[in-house]
Amino acid sequence: MLEVLFIGLSLGSILLLVALGLAITYGAMGVINMAHGEMVMVGAYVTVLSGLWLGTNIFVAIPLAFIVTALLGLLIERVVVRKLYGRLLDTLLATWGIAILIQQAVRLEFGLSFLGIHIQGLGPGLQNVSVPEILQGTLRIAGADINRYRAFIIVVTAILALATWFVIYRTVAGTQVRAIIRNPKMAAACGIDVTRVNALTFAFGSGLAGVAGVMMSGFKTVFPDMGTPMVVDGFLVVVMGGVGSLLGSVFSAGILGEINGLVAAATNDILARAVVFGVVIAIIVLKPKGLFALKGR
Amino acid sequence: MAQAALTIDGLSVDFEGFKAVNGVSMIVEDGELRVLLGANGAGKTTLMDLISGKTRSTGGRVFLHDTDITNWEEHRIARAGIGRKFQIPSVFKELTVRRNLEVASCTSPSVFANLGFGFPAKAKVDEVLELIGLTDEANRVAAYLSHGQTQWLELGLLLTQDPKIILLDEPTAGMTQAETHKTSLIVNNLKGRHTIIVVEHDMAFVREIAERITVLHLGQVLAEGSVSEIETDPKVKQAYLGSKGIT
Amino acid sequence: MLSRRRIDWVIYAAFIVLIMVFPLIMDSFWLNRLAKYLVFGMLGIAVALSWGYAGILNLGQGLFFGAGAYMLAMSLKLASTTSLQQGSDKPVPDFMLWNAEPGAKTELCCINKASFLWLPFQSQWFGVAMALVLPVLIAFVLGSIVFRKRISGVFVSIITLALVLLVRLIMIDAQPVTNGFNGLTDLGWFKLGEFEFDPYVVPTYYLIAISLSVVLVLARLLVETRAGVILQAIRDDQNRARYLGFDVPAYQTFFFAVSALIAGFAGMLYVIVSEFASPTFMDLSFSITMVVWAAVGGRASILGACIGAILINMISATVSETEGFAEAWKAIIGLVFVLVVLYLPRGIAGLAHDLIDRFVARRTPDRTRALRVNGASSQLAE
Repeated sequence: MLEVLFIGLSLGSILLLVALGLAITYGAMGVINMAHGEMVMVGAYVTVLSGLWLGTNIFVAIPLAFIVTALLGLLIERVVVRKLYGRLLDTLLATWGIAILIQQAVRLEFGLSFLGIHIQGLGPGLQNVSVPEILQGTLRIAGADINRYRAFIIVVTAILALATWFVIYRTVAGTQVRAIIRNPKMAAACGIDVTRVNALTFAFGSGLAGVAGVMMSGFKTVFPDMGTPMVVDGFLVVVMGGVGSLLGSVFSAGILGEINGLVAAATNDILARAVVFGVVIAIIVLKPKGLFALKGR
Repeated sequence: MAQAALTIDGLSVDFEGFKAVNGVSMIVEDGELRVLLGANGAGKTTLMDLISGKTRSTGGRVFLHDTDITNWEEHRIARAGIGRKFQIPSVFKELTVRRNLEVASCTSPSVFANLGFGFPAKAKVDEVLELIGLTDEANRVAAYLSHGQTQWLELGLLLTQDPKIILLDEPTAGMTQAETHKTSLIVNNLKGRHTIIVVEHDMAFVREIAERITVLHLGQVLAEGSVSEIETDPKVKQAYLGSKGIT
Repeated sequence: MLSRRRIDWVIYAAFIVLIMVFPLIMDSFWLNRLAKYLVFGMLGIAVALSWGYAGILNLGQGLFFGAGAYMLAMSLKLASTTSLQQGSDKPVPDFMLWNAEPGAKTELCCINKASFLWLPFQSQWFGVAMALVLPVLIAFVLGSIVFRKRISGVFVSIITLALVLLVRLIMIDAQPVTNGFNGLTDLGWFKLGEFEFDPYVVPTYYLIAISLSVVLVLARLLVETRAGVILQAIRDDQNRARYLGFDVPAYQTFFFAVSALIAGFAGMLYVIVSEFASPTFMDLSFSITMVVWAAVGGRASILGACIGAILINMISATVSETEGFAEAWKAIIGLVFVLVVLYLPRGIAGLAHDLIDRFVARRTPDRTRALRVNGASSQLAE
């Protein structure tokens, strides 16, 4: 039983890992970034490429992926998202287009494959990342065998969640972000440079997705389409938790992860995912504002 | 004595302990124009929300003529004969001015009754266009109207709908003096044909249109009477207008 | 205004004539492909109706398409020769036989626990009826709940998205009755009396083309009714419409269901020309792709969305002939889509309307030219 709960916890932490970045971009900026899953994918490819070309391991890839995806996020915000503020559904669609572009860029090796040039680690094929030895095997805690890598993910997720919480609730920049969540026009009137804060927020959210990608690469095969299901999961977590509530995302990721783990143990993985979707639909219908909605108008 | 069009009996609403409207009773007669006065937070808009069904009351009753309409769904209250204009003007922005009014002219609420073509009430729509002074703008998309024109268009929606009672929430908010004056002409034109309840702060406007005034204070009725009665009422002076009276 | 509307109908007529003459210039292979794209055009109409006119962005339109497809596919599977192997004259889908428990009775009623669900599908017309009824029923129930609860905007999109993925997983999991990931293949042909609709013959193409034309005209007429105009008013300002006395959820549910009906009908026709039904119909990417077609063609134009779907698919089929270009084409689609959302939010149809207005204005005297500004802005309304 403990092992099942642990698997649920680790599934929940993976959900949260992806959802953290979305909680910030969607919650703070009202941007539904369908390319978020592609950020995760890019993060995973950073791990693959840095391993192949620099010979570095997963620990080095974490900051590297954060920087790469944050810059990519900044670029997307500058070129596309910025022009669409206030048009929620349009951003959703435009970022879907971006998602396809990023996928194809990786698959076609940035177009170089047409010239017959191939970059090791890119292209349409599957890639795998080897995990450092200390993260392999299992730990024995309280009589249960616990997969070391899963435990590592939980720890990293907890650190990232805390870091995000700190940035948002304990720094000046975070206070500005929260002001924008509540009322962007008022925030602007109070002298907050909304454009700049939004750009940085988007970059930060994207960077978190990149780190999520590094973690994913350790236990999933890496391929160009891997991000699509993740963005869906991430959204369900954020919406169920309540838009703009970090705590809500943490809780709903935990709940959905445990439900997934328990149902999967009782039946199979497919039904478990189906049940998760069902729970999310029910919660959105019953509480459209999510479990932890912001109070007020 | 004329018949009562709207009877409000001990209406209250409780927002988690805060009584925004607390036992308000009033009778508005057929064809009357009633102005609601009160400071911010006196409960004027909340009272309109309760009458039109936007907010559910926690006590008391609302009667339209003899029908108890307390806590009905909004569209049923509207069908029963209460039209409402919002503080922030809301019209159908992507439709033309004429289309806006045509939508309001549909007398049947159901989907299936409206599966036919054409809007029969052309004369009515033309008449309203004339009345709100938007005949020349009839084929413009509502999004391109000025603030004042948008307010008039929303008034026009109500006129086309032709309800027994019209609730107007600050119809002159954000208007220039000339626009305010035109609005008072429109409202005066409606007097007698409709029963009207207006929430308004602009005293110049109130003087142009008002017959009877009800003053709300902290969710309760403080005073009721004609303009001159209210202006001299000591309770009103004390609670709301200060010692200087209405300026 | 009247002339604009007349021009619109001329364009509709031209489109219908165009799709009717295609068989004269195309071989049967391309005709079959084109028939599929016409079906996608119908999906474009469904999206335009719910997104452009009702303001409901349904990211799970594939659910209705899939429901329509599976319902007819079950009937056609039973009509297939593959279901009559083993020397029996009573049809049993081949995949059920392959997976049957040893000793199970090889009859449709009881070969596995849920196979009895297939029994009524022995009649093709039951399949057809279900292909239309089921999507409407789902949409009606879903709409009644969601719209009565006044859920709107992106929340509706997320609910529909989660629902289509949920159903997709259930279809995959219910492998004994649905053949799971593989879907229903090797289907028989749709029959009308004695005539069999071979997907590669001209009459089949006309079955699709005429269906599309009828749906196109009916959808356009529908949005011109009073109910259609009220629907657009609701899209612009739900509350205002509510306080004018309209039962907002009833309108939303009605048009949501009509959109589902069209998508279900499209799913059914797709099975006739493609001879398979698969869970990929309910993939997220397919549902979003439909929205892409409609957005490129013009979300607020019935014909625009339809043409968008057909055009994108035709171009992509053409360029995919060149080897290695298929993947690059996907990237181009992604880019085009971003550009359309950014710079051409009304799609091809919006662009066409602007050009028509300019043309009309140049040919008419000054009096109407003054109205041109109004005309140009009024497209927003259409």
